[in-house]
Amino acid sequence: MKTKKVSLAVLALATTVVVSACGNNNTNNSSSSAPAASGSAAVDKVKVSVTSWRAGDSEVELYKKIQEELNKVAPEIELEYKAVKATEYNTSLSVALKTDSAADIIHLRPYAGTTALADANYLEPIDGLEGLSVFTADQLAAAQGSDGKQYGVPYMLSATQILYNKDIFEKNGLTVPKTWDEMIKVADKLKENKVTPFAFGSKEGWVLSLMHGAIAPQFYGADFNEKFLKGEAKLNSPEFIKSIEAMNSLKPYFPNNFEGLGMEDIRTMFATGQTGMVIDGHFEIASIQALNPDIKIGMFPVPPVDANGKASISTWVDGSFGINKNSKNKEAAKKVLQFMTTETYGSLILNSTKSPSPIPGVSTDDELVNEIAQYSATNAVPYFAVTYLNSGSPTTKSALENALQGMYLNALTPEGVAEEVQKSLDTWFKPVSK
Amino acid sequence: MENANNARLIRKKSSWRKQLIHLIPIPAVAIYSIFVVYPILAAFTYSLFEWNGMTMGEFNNFDNFITLFTKEPFNTMFWNALGHNIYYFVVEMVVQNGIAFGLAYIIFKKIKGTGFLKVAYFLPRLLSIIVVGFLWKMILNPNMGILNVFLEKVGLGSYALAWLGNPDTALTAVVLINSWFAIGFFMLLFLAGLQSISSEVLEAAKLDGAVGFRLVRSVILPMMFQPLVIVVVMTFIQAFEAFELVFAMQGSMGEPYYSTDLLAVFFYRTAFGGNAGDSGALGIGSALAVVMFVIIATISALFMSYVNKKDSA
Repeated sequence: MKTKKVSLAVLALATTVVVSACGNNNTNNSSSSAPAASGSAAVDKVKVSVTSWRAGDSEVELYKKIQEELNKVAPEIELEYKAVKATEYNTSLSVALKTDSAADIIHLRPYAGTTALADANYLEPIDGLEGLSVFTADQLAAAQGSDGKQYGVPYMLSATQILYNKDIFEKNGLTVPKTWDEMIKVADKLKENKVTPFAFGSKEGWVLSLMHGAIAPQFYGADFNEKFLKGEAKLNSPEFIKSIEAMNSLKPYFPNNFEGLGMEDIRTMFATGQTGMVIDGHFEIASIQALNPDIKIGMFPVPPVDANGKASISTWVDGSFGINKNSKNKEAAKKVLQFMTTETYGSLILNSTKSPSPIPGVSTDDELVNEIAQYSATNAVPYFAVTYLNSGSPTTKSALENALQGMYLNALTPEGVAEEVQKSLDTWFKPVSK
Repeated sequence: MENANNARLIRKKSSWRKQLIHLIPIPAVAIYSIFVVYPILAAFTYSLFEWNGMTMGEFNNFDNFITLFTKEPFNTMFWNALGHNIYYFVVEMVVQNGIAFGLAYIIFKKIKGTGFLKVAYFLPRLLSIIVVGFLWKMILNPNMGILNVFLEKVGLGSYALAWLGNPDTALTAVVLINSWFAIGFFMLLFLAGLQSISSEVLEAAKLDGAVGFRLVRSVILPMMFQPLVIVVVMTFIQAFEAFELVFAMQGSMGEPYYSTDLLAVFFYRTAFGGNAGDSGALGIGSALAVVMFVIIATISALFMSYVNKKDSA
């Protein structure tokens, strides 16, 4: 009986495959009859299609603005924006690529997602594209193939930092901590005054790797990522264990029954002023404000253990744009990608999505978002689990999440977590040989 | 002559029409084939191939099955989930069907207000199971849920646990909620069984002095053998295809720490990728689907053949 349902799901997938294959045929029409969007009506129009999983109304508005700005530098290009529902995007894209009916410019899932497409030879390398140099190596790594070539232009960033309730801090006479110890003192003070220091819950695994991503770099140190990739450091190395112990050490500052709380509860507790701080993604801010429009939220980066250290926020590239290898408009598509490296574009993205742009030097009026954007440019460290652990089946990222959950339920020690995660990593990871 | 010809013509026409009747099931057969037969066969085929994301690779014999049963973490997850399915079945048999029988018996005895009670007990079954999951998630919320608030108000604060966040209580909580949801349906099955017993037999048993528990044990239950088996089989299938409630309340990872993982949840996560953004392993997922199909089909068939043997004996 279950198999029946299950096979139905398989069939549903198959149907999606067929339907999307049918619906994606006329991508590369260069039409000269299209109405001119800008003043220069004489130029021959080139239609460049863009596909993405960001399917909201605001996205359509954003593309109108992008079109306008783009035509100031490339008047001939007309963008055709084709959004696909996020949950169906991967399937529909893989079918479109196989049937040679995919869009010219493709929104690429970050890290392992891009690597898979690049390795399957669906993407055009864009090394040497003008403007690529504005990105950091960590950001560019989100859109590379196993061959080390660049296949995409990073689109926007997500950032995890510590958000705090300004009113609660003021009422308790607290200031933004500059070191980890100061932050623990702040937490102690809040606890003394009967305010839960951190909104936290371990019921949903993804929340755990998100928060680990934010605080861990202060414990495993700046050179860990490189050592890890070279195979010189493992996930059960002492420095990584320290980062897990740090997660465990915050336990006394979490709400009662935190093992039963999920992101919704975390959001509610922070928004309703029951807690002073939360380690959280920038993408939660809008939801928190929707619950309580009057809340005054401040942010600070995760403070360093050592007073001389550098505070950090954890960022990751949330998608890139790359070029379909079989596109008939590669030159025009490259021009669009070039535009995607400019400050004009970065500023459009920042203001429209309220997410930090990887392009340095852009700003927005929203004070909180702007602060996060500025720290993303100067104090960013990669979100470890998404950047390096998102492969394997099941992924090592989900192994980390489950093991952390086990730790908070007292089923595993921090060392046990490290062993589990390393075991999962061993099933697929190969260090870069130098 | 004319008449005879006409009659033959009519007969001919009607026999042609009679043949037409065989076409009537075609739509049903077509739909059944597309949505039932084909997916089952497809799952069987998929389970024998290698998969790279959504792309079918090479034929690889029984590698997916071997991976499922020998490789970490799949093998641990499989036995863990299977154990939970068995627990699901046992608790449902005892709690859900025990209560359902009791309720059916009360209604059968025609106490006052049976009409109302019948509807009331059946009511949860009319809710979408996703709604049920959401509702109970709110009731069981550790800090804001009505259950823990109530426990604290009556001085039992130390019993106010994180019901769904604690591995010791999460699975039991989910099974009990599923029982609450399904009691009405099984009560109706029992009621139909009770009503099929002829009143003469009951009358005679009573005259012979069988009352109360004795009547239930020695007369009613043996006479309800067939409906009882149907209940067992349906409970078994319900327990082994359970998915929605865990998915709605505990997510696709069977959280916390795989303590509410079930075969179907494990299948979903493996085949289509969990919420962590896995790309999914369709081959191993299909192998698991085949294993589940075999388990459910074999055990159901064993039950049914046992009944048939008992019936013909």
